[in-house]
Amino acid sequence: MQAVIKTENLHKTYDDDGVPVHAVRGVDLEIHGGEFTALVGPSGSGKTTLLNMMAGLDTPSKGQAFLEDKSIGRMSGRELSDFRRDKIGFIFQAYNLIPVLTTAENVEYVMLLQGVSAEERRKRVEEMLEDVGLEDYIDTLPSKLSGGQQQRVAIARAMAAKPSLVMADEPTANLDSETSGELLDMMRELNRSTGMTFLFSTHDEIVMERATRVVILRDGRIAEDERKA
Amino acid sequence: MYLRFLKVAWRNLLRNKRRTLIAGIAIGIGLASLIFTDAVIIGMSDGLVRSATSSWMGDLQIHNQNFSRSMSAELTIERPDSVLSSLASDPRVKNYTRRVVAQGMLSSAADMSMVALYGIDPSRERSVSMLDEAMVEGSYVGGESHLVIGVDLADQLDVELGDRVVVTISMAGTGDLYQEMLRVGGLYRFGSAEFDKTTAFVSLEKAQSMLGLSGVHEIAVDYRGAEHWRSAPEEEIAHLAESGNVVESWVELLPQLQVMFEMSDLSTLIVGVVLFGIVIFGIINTLFMSIYERMFEFGVLKAIGTRATDVAKLMLMEAAWLGLLSIVLGSVLGLGLNLLFAEIGIDYTGIETAGVTFREPIYTISTANQFIKYPIIVFFVTLIVGVYPAVHAARLKPADAMRKSL
Repeated sequence: MQAVIKTENLHKTYDDDGVPVHAVRGVDLEIHGGEFTALVGPSGSGKTTLLNMMAGLDTPSKGQAFLEDKSIGRMSGRELSDFRRDKIGFIFQAYNLIPVLTTAENVEYVMLLQGVSAEERRKRVEEMLEDVGLEDYIDTLPSKLSGGQQQRVAIARAMAAKPSLVMADEPTANLDSETSGELLDMMRELNRSTGMTFLFSTHDEIVMERATRVVILRDGRIAEDERKA
Repeated sequence: MYLRFLKVAWRNLLRNKRRTLIAGIAIGIGLASLIFTDAVIIGMSDGLVRSATSSWMGDLQIHNQNFSRSMSAELTIERPDSVLSSLASDPRVKNYTRRVVAQGMLSSAADMSMVALYGIDPSRERSVSMLDEAMVEGSYVGGESHLVIGVDLADQLDVELGDRVVVTISMAGTGDLYQEMLRVGGLYRFGSAEFDKTTAFVSLEKAQSMLGLSGVHEIAVDYRGAEHWRSAPEEEIAHLAESGNVVESWVELLPQLQVMFEMSDLSTLIVGVVLFGIVIFGIINTLFMSIYERMFEFGVLKAIGTRATDVAKLMLMEAAWLGLLSIVLGSVLGLGLNLLFAEIGIDYTGIETAGVTFREPIYTISTANQFIKYPIIVFFVTLIVGVYPAVHAARLKPADAMRKSL
């Protein structure tokens, strides 16, 4: 199966007041289409840094990341923006919806940047909000929603633009276990029904239980890479 | 997409209503101050011109073309009937009055003083100058040996109403000295020390008989719209002077006012620069506060695919909304101040500026320009100043902006 995203000998070294900190040390990783992968590791293991570089949010000190065989490091700032807009859907730990936009406007935002027609946007917003069970909250501002509801909107926003890959940073960290389980089941179902690829950074058992692949990072290196049947 | 960005920018501005309102009021006060300063300066200029022209000088004066140079008594206005006919037929001429001017000396038992002795037509003079209103004691000009002098001159000569003084002048044509004893019949005070000490008045007929002439040296004219002149209206008024005469507006007769107006324009410019300096820092502070508060959000916006140029546009749109809000607040405040002081005025009466004494309060004058030019400047200054924080926001790296990002 073709790799959606791939890293080759990826390194990241930070300078901490003159002391080099090796956050990622030579990671080779391929994420294939349709996978539901959990990138697991303790704090400081380098999973966030690795995801940042894979998403083009941070630049590697050495090595390369490829999305659909295209080198992320060779892209200009504008190309990187367009690449993230079209290819990656993001789900953040603290939801990070745009607070001045309503539920529907948040979901619609990336499609607006993509230049999707108004009619198509409206259709996809309705579909996505129905999928995440928020069809009754179309005109609600994020501040009026619970944490679980906001994360549902974030999932809808990430998926509405039909990206190749959805990256989620600790998406359940601020949620109770029941809500986390519901959201994970929902994402797994979307993964099954649409074939969309998911990559999580997490140390939540609930995520690991549902992942089809678990990659364990330790001290910036891949310690284990387990595919479930 | 621009409409959506405009909507987002407006909502972002309203996220911290108190800060936006304070920033808007601060910028608005700057604009209102500029509008008000301009209205005061226009009102002051017009008031100063009115005080100068309506108190004595008139808006225009017609003389024999050689009179101003030599002040010779025989240099009366050429073809006076034709000049008077031109004045009577010009619809912009409100009133005019004829005068005789002689350089002479007033002597009392105590002292003597050089004076300009004016012969005036008492009834027509009322319609052009304010001598009648400046009378503080005794009676207005009239009668055979009735002399009106300033209070300051009376003090210097140590004379009172009813006292006699000797007037010495040089007669027209022959240059012979003529002396006559006149009685002080009235005292005036215009408030200009120089004028009040050196100017005396008798009736036109009396001055003509003392000088031995039948013509006049000066015609003072009250002309519509003259207070708005800021440069000599030579072509506009040239038709009022017959050949051999010269017509001069207050612009030429009071060159010091022109200098003062130029200084006033400079003052407005300085006030503007200082106010805009304050405004600029206010805008930068507001927008940067907004950026730092939303640092993570900018990181998210960029992470999900918003281009740097779009982030910059969003910030510029916020600056534009702030500018619009500010100019609405500033224009309303400026208009309120202008209307208030157009009604109650600022009391400058009796204060002498550039040789002219204010005879009325300064009333602010609103112009369309104040509510078009200055708000447009404020709006564009806000936009230009907004470029700096906009570029800063655009250059934020998503990973840095989010600190704890993906």
